[in-house]
Amino acid sequence: MASSEDRQIVFDNVSKSYGEVLGVNHVNLSLEPGITSLVGPNGAGKTTLMNLMTGLLRPSKGTVSVLGVSPSDPEVFYRNIGYCSQFEAFPRGLSGYQMVHSTLMLHGLSPQKAEERSWNVIERVGMTEAARRRVAGYSKGMRQRIRLALALAHDPKVLVLDEPLNGLDPMARNEAIELFRKFAESGMHVVISSHIMHEVDIISDRVVMMSGGYVVAEGDIQGVRHEMEEHPIQILIRCDRPGLIAANVFEQDSVVEARIHSDGLGLLVSTRDPDRFYDLLNRIILQHRISIEAVSPADENVHAVYQYLVGGNGMGTS
Amino acid sequence: MAVYKRTYTRYTGPLTDERWRFTILPRFMLKTVFSSRIALLALLIAMIPHLIALVLIYLRSHVDSLIALQLQDMAQELQYLNIDGRFFLVVFAFETFISFAIVAFLGPGLVSPDLSNNALPLYLSRPFSRAEYVMGKLSVLALLTSAVTWIPGLLLFFLQTVMTELSWATGNVRILAGIVVGSWIWILTTSMLALAMSAWVKWRTIATASLLGIYFVAAGFGTVTNEILNTGYGTVLNMASNMRMVWRWFFLGESVYRVEVGPSVTLPAWTGLAAMAVICSVALLLLAWKIRPAEVVR
Repeated sequence: MASSEDRQIVFDNVSKSYGEVLGVNHVNLSLEPGITSLVGPNGAGKTTLMNLMTGLLRPSKGTVSVLGVSPSDPEVFYRNIGYCSQFEAFPRGLSGYQMVHSTLMLHGLSPQKAEERSWNVIERVGMTEAARRRVAGYSKGMRQRIRLALALAHDPKVLVLDEPLNGLDPMARNEAIELFRKFAESGMHVVISSHIMHEVDIISDRVVMMSGGYVVAEGDIQGVRHEMEEHPIQILIRCDRPGLIAANVFEQDSVVEARIHSDGLGLLVSTRDPDRFYDLLNRIILQHRISIEAVSPADENVHAVYQYLVGGNGMGTS
Repeated sequence: MAVYKRTYTRYTGPLTDERWRFTILPRFMLKTVFSSRIALLALLIAMIPHLIALVLIYLRSHVDSLIALQLQDMAQELQYLNIDGRFFLVVFAFETFISFAIVAFLGPGLVSPDLSNNALPLYLSRPFSRAEYVMGKLSVLALLTSAVTWIPGLLLFFLQTVMTELSWATGNVRILAGIVVGSWIWILTTSMLALAMSAWVKWRTIATASLLGIYFVAAGFGTVTNEILNTGYGTVLNMASNMRMVWRWFFLGESVYRVEVGPSVTLPAWTGLAAMAVICSVALLLLAWKIRPAEVVR
């Protein structure tokens, strides 16, 4: 029976500094399988964390293990990891197929086996027709697909993807997200760095928020948001009689604010106890037969949480 | 948790030997080199000194046939030609420069594209170390320069042995050692230097110019140093002279090298070897500094 650490990515008090410049500091994380997004502005330490996770950097302090394996055992470690860097890093003159084929050979496959599997993974990312062409002639989206093929080729259990959706058209983007979901559902780790908050919200099972080299919050976004007691949760309600709801919500002490929209067809309620508020809202709606168009949390997303925690907008690609 | 039915399963078959994975890197590079007509022509030209030597060795052993063919003059000339250490010294003096030219032409394009494209994580996020990366790149230059140094050199040695008798080979083991060991000293030094230049200078033309600068300008600087300080140790700045010391020690058994330009002084032959070792070490340090798996953005 595998221990829980054998299925986790574990950072144990990890610090990494570049001379006097701090990369990450005192990071303690245990990531479960699923999609994890790293969020933070430039210089927050996201790429450093990814580099530590993929063994490209060694920590100045602490230890990193991926599925129970340390980077000091590269043969096993790199069989588990597929890394897709944010850079358009392709040796000159090679075709997409040659890139994937060489990568598989670096993993120890014979040329024949590597060829067989190369075509398999190339087909998986929808690049069969263009695979014989030189990477230099590819569009940005095609390069992104080949990068993904390189990361996936040896069928890793942990996928680390730095800005994987950059340059993809909407259709390819949706396909990629769907692919990541399937990987996560199959029990894989998919660690993503993205500065597009909307995507992070859609994709992630959990987020790791970083600022100045520190992990400032970690977990599923609702969980993180609910822990922030100093910032009441905002709930958006679109309905036909917002004034009636506003008049009744203050019977709860936890409700701190109710603002009616200028169009008179909705209101924004701030509460410190959303569960109790939803019970109350149900009662008010039934009692007064109010017609409801939509009820949704207004700031239960990565962007809002990051703003509350750090004050910045969380955008960046570091 | 729903389980996605996977059709692409992990490879569980036998793996290739880790020790030889560095040979994956030269595969496509050599293909590129050999697909270029200019590079192919340069390699053929580089073999000319060995081809001439091959013909001379053959003819030297067939002087009687030349006389029979009424080629007395040529036969007479060849009778004075000794196939000995001095003969190999001349051949390898040419090849020293030619192999350097190959390294200067191809070396700068090996590492810099990977660095400027941030391609190193692509290699190093696999079971592939920095040392293997350098070995892989080095092997491209080593293979090509071997083709114009020790491999044809060994052919010459064995041809001469076949044309004469085994006693010639046993009496000239020093030459055999010189062909192999001396060539590898030169191949490693020049290749390491070229890779270091390629890692530090991103523009290929500038990197090539820097290499030629080290070869020619440093030699001139060494001569000036000798003249001004009235010493011979400026010679260690001259890569070709350093190698000449090594060749002379191997082929002629000379443990002392007379400085050719400048004051009339001598140097122990080991200074040439030591200078090459220093160049190699510095190049290795430069490579270790630059070949890093992750770009550090400060």
